[in-house]
Amino acid sequence: MRLLERLWGTNPYRKSDKKKKGTSNYAYAVTRVRAMKSKLLPKETYPRLLNMGIDEITRFIQESEYKNDVDELAMKYSGGDLAEHALNRNLALTYDKLLRITSGELNYLIVAYLKRYDIWNIKTLLRGILYNAPVEDILESLISAGEFTYTFLSELAAKATYQEVIDALKETDYYPLLQEFDGTNLAYIENELDKAYYSSLFAVIGKPRSKDRKLFVRFIKLEVDVKNLGTLFRLKRAGVEESDEIMPLIIEGGMELKSEKLAPLPYEQFIDALRKTHYWDAISSVAELETASLTIVESRLTRHSLESATTYSHVSPISIVPIMDYIIHKSNEVKNLRIIFRGKEAGLDDTLIKDQLVVI
Amino acid sequence: MVGEELVSGPFLDADGMKALGAALAITVTGLASAWAEKEIGTAAIGAMAENEGLFGKGLILTVIPETIVIFGLVASLLINSA
Repeated sequence: MRLLERLWGTNPYRKSDKKKKGTSNYAYAVTRVRAMKSKLLPKETYPRLLNMGIDEITRFIQESEYKNDVDELAMKYSGGDLAEHALNRNLALTYDKLLRITSGELNYLIVAYLKRYDIWNIKTLLRGILYNAPVEDILESLISAGEFTYTFLSELAAKATYQEVIDALKETDYYPLLQEFDGTNLAYIENELDKAYYSSLFAVIGKPRSKDRKLFVRFIKLEVDVKNLGTLFRLKRAGVEESDEIMPLIIEGGMELKSEKLAPLPYEQFIDALRKTHYWDAISSVAELETASLTIVESRLTRHSLESATTYSHVSPISIVPIMDYIIHKSNEVKNLRIIFRGKEAGLDDTLIKDQLVVI
Repeated sequence: MVGEELVSGPFLDADGMKALGAALAITVTGLASAWAEKEIGTAAIGAMAENEGLFGKGLILTVIPETIVIFGLVASLLINSA
């Protein structure tokens, strides 16, 4: 086939990125990813980490899977910065590895999913530069797991104004949206970037025909629901009941959450309406109490999405789900470690740090 | 018909059918175990790339489908000796 293509020249219509290229080697990718998942930190580690001091935690990270990253960066950074950079670098390299070991449809969908890190990086850059954060601080929060390379991102971080950053992103899909940024509407732009990400993700999937795309769509829809639920909880707690104010903040394409119906309800009715959804089991013990911290509600929701991903990865073992399951578990681990690290550094109480962690 | 004039009797005699049966038994089981081993083999390589300690287990799991072709071999030998 390749020989024929070479003889006749490639047909431009076949190059459409909607077509999968190559075949997805599920057996290889899924088993390798499962082996990678077995290397994630077990839940027994976290109570131990909470009892450690910062130096001990750094040493612990140095002796774990993050060893190579810590070693490579030890020349440049030290202390908290070193751990933060090592975690980010490890996350980026792990996702890069996922892209290397997958092909065809799998690879195509994962690339689309990981664009979330491009959005994350753009947000970080805009925030950092707008509030005049030092370049080192911005670099600490960049995760080059998406399409932008670390070199490109560090060049952007060194720019003096946000306008220069936006100009440098001229070639990207986000440019039309970023042009609306005037230095005052950061929250709006961030929201719109999130929405643009999810709508482009749904566009990439198209009409889900293959089994993989159906599972992937389900996964994304659950994620959208969890995000929307978090937003709704925040707004309801703040007493916002106007649909016009709420709906622009809601991401379209959720699974079972009818945001337009939930938006105008007061808090008690909102909770009553949630009882009929699948998410109620996850949040029932904490949602009813109006005094319960939103952090706990949100971490319960995150736990729910992590657990349901794991359940579905057992239901469809040879599919994209185990890989998505690994992606979110890995990012959760990095998030947990960062919470512990930064929490300890800021001298927060252990119970407060513990509430923020999502340990599976 | 034209064929009837050229070939007298059935297209294959009893020995021919036996040989064909034996060939099919070994061919189909050979292909089946090859396909199964390919799937398990790639999975085993994936696991081994992350954890070298899985070499032994991977090797054993990879050769288990070999039993299929052994059954095929037995079947074809039985057919031939019948």
